[in-house]
Amino acid sequence: MTLKLTINGQERELAVPPQSPLLNVLRNDLALNGPKYGCGLGECGACSVLIDGMAARSCVLPVSAAVGHNVTTLDGLAQDGQLDPVQQAFIDAQAAQCGYCLNGMIITIRGLLNHNAQPTAEQIRAALEHNLCRCGTHVEILQAAERAVVINAVALEETPYE
Amino acid sequence: MSDGSMLNGQQAPAGTSALLAKARYGVVVRPPFYRWSDGRFASDRLVGVDKNSLASLSGPIDVVVEGDFVGVVADSLALATDAAKQLKVEWRTVRQAADKSPAKMPVEERHPPYASASHAYGWPSRMRWGNHPSWVIADYSDQQLRVWGQTATPVALKQDLNRLTALDVSQIELYSAVNNHSTQQASGLGRHCGDDAAVDAALMSRAVGNPVAVWLDARYAKDVEALGQAQRITLNADLSSDGEIARYRYQQANLTGEVAAVGLWLSGAAAIAELAEFPAGDNGTPPFSPYVFRDQYLAARSQPASLATNPTLIGIQQAFARESFLDEVARESEQDPIALRLRHLEDARGIELIESVAKRAEWQRSSNPSSESLSQDLLRGRGFAYSQLPDREQRVEAGVRSAWIADVEVNRITGDVQLTRLVVGQDAGPDIDTARLQQTLQARVLGEARPFLGHEPRFDEWGDGSRALTKHESSALAPTASWPTLYSPSASVAAVGEDVLTGAELSPGVAVIANALFDATGLRFRQPPFTANRVRQALEESSAEEAGRPSKPVKQSRSTKRRWLAAAAFTTIAGTAAMAWPWKGAIAPVSRPAANLYSAETIERGRLVAAAGDCAACHTSEGGVTNVGGRAFETPFGTLYSTNITPDEATGIGQWSYAAFERAMRHGISRNGSHLYPAFPYTAFAKTSDADLQALYAYLMAQPPVAAAKTTNELSFPFSVRALMAGWNTLYHDPAPFQPDPLQSELYNRGAYLAEGLGHCSACHSPRNAMGAEKSGGAYLAGAFVDGWEAPPLNTLSRAPVPWSEASLYDYLRQGESSLHGVASGPMAPVVAGLAELPEYDVRAIAHYVAAQMQAPAGNSDADVAGAEQRVASAALSAPELEAGERLFEGACAACHVASGVPTFSSASTNLALNTNLHSDHPDNVIQSILGGVHAEHVPGVGNMPGFADSFSNTQVADLATYLRARFAPEKAPWQQVEQRIADLRQPHHNNTHSTP
Repeated sequence: MTLKLTINGQERELAVPPQSPLLNVLRNDLALNGPKYGCGLGECGACSVLIDGMAARSCVLPVSAAVGHNVTTLDGLAQDGQLDPVQQAFIDAQAAQCGYCLNGMIITIRGLLNHNAQPTAEQIRAALEHNLCRCGTHVEILQAAERAVVINAVALEETPYE
Repeated sequence: MSDGSMLNGQQAPAGTSALLAKARYGVVVRPPFYRWSDGRFASDRLVGVDKNSLASLSGPIDVVVEGDFVGVVADSLALATDAAKQLKVEWRTVRQAADKSPAKMPVEERHPPYASASHAYGWPSRMRWGNHPSWVIADYSDQQLRVWGQTATPVALKQDLNRLTALDVSQIELYSAVNNHSTQQASGLGRHCGDDAAVDAALMSRAVGNPVAVWLDARYAKDVEALGQAQRITLNADLSSDGEIARYRYQQANLTGEVAAVGLWLSGAAAIAELAEFPAGDNGTPPFSPYVFRDQYLAARSQPASLATNPTLIGIQQAFARESFLDEVARESEQDPIALRLRHLEDARGIELIESVAKRAEWQRSSNPSSESLSQDLLRGRGFAYSQLPDREQRVEAGVRSAWIADVEVNRITGDVQLTRLVVGQDAGPDIDTARLQQTLQARVLGEARPFLGHEPRFDEWGDGSRALTKHESSALAPTASWPTLYSPSASVAAVGEDVLTGAELSPGVAVIANALFDATGLRFRQPPFTANRVRQALEESSAEEAGRPSKPVKQSRSTKRRWLAAAAFTTIAGTAAMAWPWKGAIAPVSRPAANLYSAETIERGRLVAAAGDCAACHTSEGGVTNVGGRAFETPFGTLYSTNITPDEATGIGQWSYAAFERAMRHGISRNGSHLYPAFPYTAFAKTSDADLQALYAYLMAQPPVAAAKTTNELSFPFSVRALMAGWNTLYHDPAPFQPDPLQSELYNRGAYLAEGLGHCSACHSPRNAMGAEKSGGAYLAGAFVDGWEAPPLNTLSRAPVPWSEASLYDYLRQGESSLHGVASGPMAPVVAGLAELPEYDVRAIAHYVAAQMQAPAGNSDADVAGAEQRVASAALSAPELEAGERLFEGACAACHVASGVPTFSSASTNLALNTNLHSDHPDNVIQSILGGVHAEHVPGVGNMPGFADSFSNTQVADLATYLRARFAPEKAPWQQVEQRIADLRQPHHNNTHSTP
């Protein structure tokens, strides 16, 4: 039995057990190493991916749950060689220590901005509350997030409606 | 509980057509006994009505009494229904013992060759109302009566209304409530009970001076039963020694062929006139026969001219009786049915036509060319019928001759009849589109779901999913504002019949199918319709008689059972073991039935049966091959393992004959004669109908065989002694098949059949006694523990924070999730997965039945929803002082279970404040969910929670569970001894090292 998935805009047909965690399929079968394995229990957020534009913890989702939805990983955020505004903001703010959690941070902020393009500082903190960082880079990460809001707004204005 | 359609219907008035907005709602109260039989109407007589019995109901209520007619009119259907239930009515019984058995389809067995024959043929007075409940509205005002509704017989209805109101026919207008469902309403085969509803509505409207709407639904099926046969035609023949019919008698009970509406009889408006018998040729439309016999007598009793006559219908009825009878005489005297007819035909045109049609259809060749190619469950037959149709001037002698040959295929398990071939010859008139005719006949004479003949649903009928109740009900909820079709006042009586078929008459059509059915099954159907359920019932009855046992095992009386229960003791059990089953020997093994033994249709029905019974859930081990067994069941008596039910001869059920299979399903006795343990819910499966069991057998035997080693049960003594089960069965097992409750709706009975039988809900949801038997009475569905999970109560003891409704139950069973209650998990998840195979109607029926047990409303009220929101809001704020639990919750659960303000794909969809498990008296399901998680393998898209058995200690799980209880079910007392319970439940879950990918 094969599953049909749409990942980073590409149709993929995979012969994998439907109960495999989505994260395992992304990393092991598709070599998409943006999402990281952290806790394996949906607690830390390192494994986050976007599904239909919403953040999702891919370590607790069976791959079958993604059938019929659009999955975007960190690897697929950049468009036409242009980094996503959120990625650019994290580089600009140099918001990394070890960097293991950053996939989750970036995906979560992307999910937040998809829902609310002008979040307040509180809303950003609430969105990131359950993304764990053990290096203590929180201040830089919040700065990066706030910068992302600005760059994202500019990018939205520049992009003509399609 | 009233039925679901009504519950939905009561919301109808809001924002619907002006018509309904003006109308009040009427519900009739029929006498306990009323019956039309042998040309007479009899009923209990009204003594009195106590209007004070309605004092407790608020709102204006009118009680309409006219003769023996009683109706209640109120401003809402719900109020009228309640009032009708509550109204105290006193009746004087006129019931006669002889009238007890309702009109039954006459079916007789084959007789030995004989010299004379006598048979009677019937025609039902009413067809069913069709599949779709709907409104019938009458407005009597200003010496004018307008009726909106559905009728197949507008002329007869008008005549009834005329007799009721004494209004001139020109002052009575009928409007068809045509929607897209009822395009095939025109009948030609008789009246349906929409006419009775229309007369009821008119009667009540006249009494209260307001338009009155009547909800035409399954309750009118009682009228169908009570009115019995409209027509009874008795035929006699004496045969000479060479097989010629020497003497022929034809007697028709009722020349009009139609019976007036129930309301008309009850109110006394239908004067019961004397019937007069007159021989052929006197007046009116005499019985006609194209055949010539040496000594013949044809007579019909006629009612006064004031009763409607429908010549087309009468023609069909006459042809059906005559052609069926000749076929019977031919078969019983071992003559060819066509040859016998030709002996008695002098009309050269007719003889030539019959011969040519017989030749064209290859009549002489058997309809069963190679019986090997036919599946065991299919029967084939061929029938012939001949008729002479009146010409334009209604002259039969000069009319068109019509000869028909039909081939049918009967599925003896499902009862489905397929008209596989139809050859029709006519000597005049336009060419006949035989293909279309075949289609029409198939749909209308045999079709189960056509309003034309009315389907007659049975509790064990498996729909194709097309009976989506919501759709039909919504059409009834919002009656189209326009009621476009006005029945033409000048509609000629014949037009109704002609509407059915163009170019050919239906009259030989009913007989030709009856004759082919006899050829196929050996059973004579002497009254239409021949729907699958009736055919199946007749086949079941005949095979039961052949087997020399009653079709329904005699039900042990309740009082006897009680006495046994009181005397229950181990010694008694041992004592009764020997006598409990006189026939518990082994049933001889058979070689595995061939895969093509059963038709695809039967196997498909079996697949649905298996899905409803969810065989695979228990007979498949985790990660194992479907149905090979090996799944362990922990019981208080030891561990049991499910068996291999694939048709493998050595390790499965490949050597089981149907008899062995049926015995196991109904009595819990294995093929080799040993007893099965009631972990296998034969106590519930016993309620399954014969047809469903056979189909299930067909399905299982058609699956690929898989060999699997058997795992031995680990039971403690004395439970390891299987023979003791004989005594257990005597005490606790009632093998009687399911009996529908005639007072309940079809939806309820279907739900009860599925839930009590195949669905075996009570196997998990009813507590068991010390002997492992399900408790009944008040403990039925009162909740129990199975496999370390709590199966919550499905009766009034439900602990759900927001009360369950029928709609929530449906969502839960169909989608695996209810927004006000949570997701199906644990052992319920595979149940929902199994239900996914079933048609929507069946899942709705189960929800309806369970809702009735819970006394739950149809939908959740606004107050319920507001209460749910209030619960969620207060749980978000409360911060109990349980730090350890809170830390665990924030770390492990909050990412998915607390709304962050941003939608995420993987968060839980139902707030924990609404979770039934957190509100239960027992922490089991919460512990199970924390340890093992909630997995969506059975219900895609619902619930994906990881298990924390590997990361949390027992203390941590206890802290978390206690915290959850305090925060999300603050009004409930804290659980006790949670940690001990966790230790007990942890066993099956992993508790080793942290797994990594």
